[in-house]
Amino acid sequence: MKKNEFLAKLKDELKKNNVADIDEIISEYEQHFAFKMADGYSEEEIAARLGDPLQLASQFESNIEYKTSGGKKIAAAIGLVFTDIFTGAFFILLVAWEIIMAAFAVSNLVIAACLFGRVNFITKFTPMPYLSAVVIGISAAALAVLSVVGCIYFALFIRQLMRAYGRFHRNTMAIASGGAVLPPLAIYPRLPAKVNRRLRSVALFAMVVFTTSFVLGMIISMLLSGSIEFWHTWGWFGYNAVN
Amino acid sequence: MNIQYKKGVLELCVLALLKKHDYYGYELSEYLSKHIDIADGTVYPILRKLKNEGLLTTYVQEDSGGPPRKYYSLTSLGREVYEKEREEYLDFAKKIEILLEDDNDEKE
Repeated sequence: MKKNEFLAKLKDELKKNNVADIDEIISEYEQHFAFKMADGYSEEEIAARLGDPLQLASQFESNIEYKTSGGKKIAAAIGLVFTDIFTGAFFILLVAWEIIMAAFAVSNLVIAACLFGRVNFITKFTPMPYLSAVVIGISAAALAVLSVVGCIYFALFIRQLMRAYGRFHRNTMAIASGGAVLPPLAIYPRLPAKVNRRLRSVALFAMVVFTTSFVLGMIISMLLSGSIEFWHTWGWFGYNAVN
Repeated sequence: MNIQYKKGVLELCVLALLKKHDYYGYELSEYLSKHIDIADGTVYPILRKLKNEGLLTTYVQEDSGGPPRKYYSLTSLGREVYEKEREEYLDFAKKIEILLEDDNDEKE
């Protein structure tokens, strides 16, 4: 089979099968002939090695499935608008929670810094003995670390959730218009095992430090003030200081 | 070897090659027909399918001498799909290998 015969057969068959962009496909095979001929092969040889044009044409996907009715597409689009609104509100909620967690982390850090630096800007609290301030400060710092780890996890989770939803959105439209469906994405972020381990051990360490120093801080305060309700003794929250 | 086996993994092979760098269609056809022993023309329908699915993009580059070449390049989506399918294939192949080698042991 000569080059022209091969290409003509292929073109006819592609037309019969309703394949899109036939010219582009033909030019790809034309290029193949050009490259092979430059290497010194004969047209017949090249055609034979390319394979049977009828068979090749059948391997190109027919365009018919891409031309599904517009009604189905519109229905899917309208449905998606509603799910988008609902999911959008849900994502706003998640992001708001992320911001709250971040604010919590920052405020804990500020509290720790104030306690360490003997800064007392809240007039409702009279200064406490420096030993209890340091121990409670450590617990606040540990809580800040813990909430930072929580923030990181949660941010990754939101990101992955958004990507998974985006994929769902895309696939729904693809199904409605007969396009290719891609594999759905996992909802949970998949971190590298090393990062995962490190985050977990930091969180665990912070948790242990927080609990022990918090309990220790309470006990030290009770001992130093000589009262279980040390906040009364030190005159916090507007109580009159008992001397 | 059964032609159906080859067709099944051909898409994966194309993605694997394109992960390394961009190729033009003819290069891919040459490489695959040499190593997997398929008809030269088989790779073009696959490239087209992958492009329709958004896993590949194309661009044309004029090289000195010879016809302009249509290069294929992996999209980030293609990369993602490749990683996933690669893992699935390797896992699958490992299981089959265990099964087949088990059979071998019993015969000996």
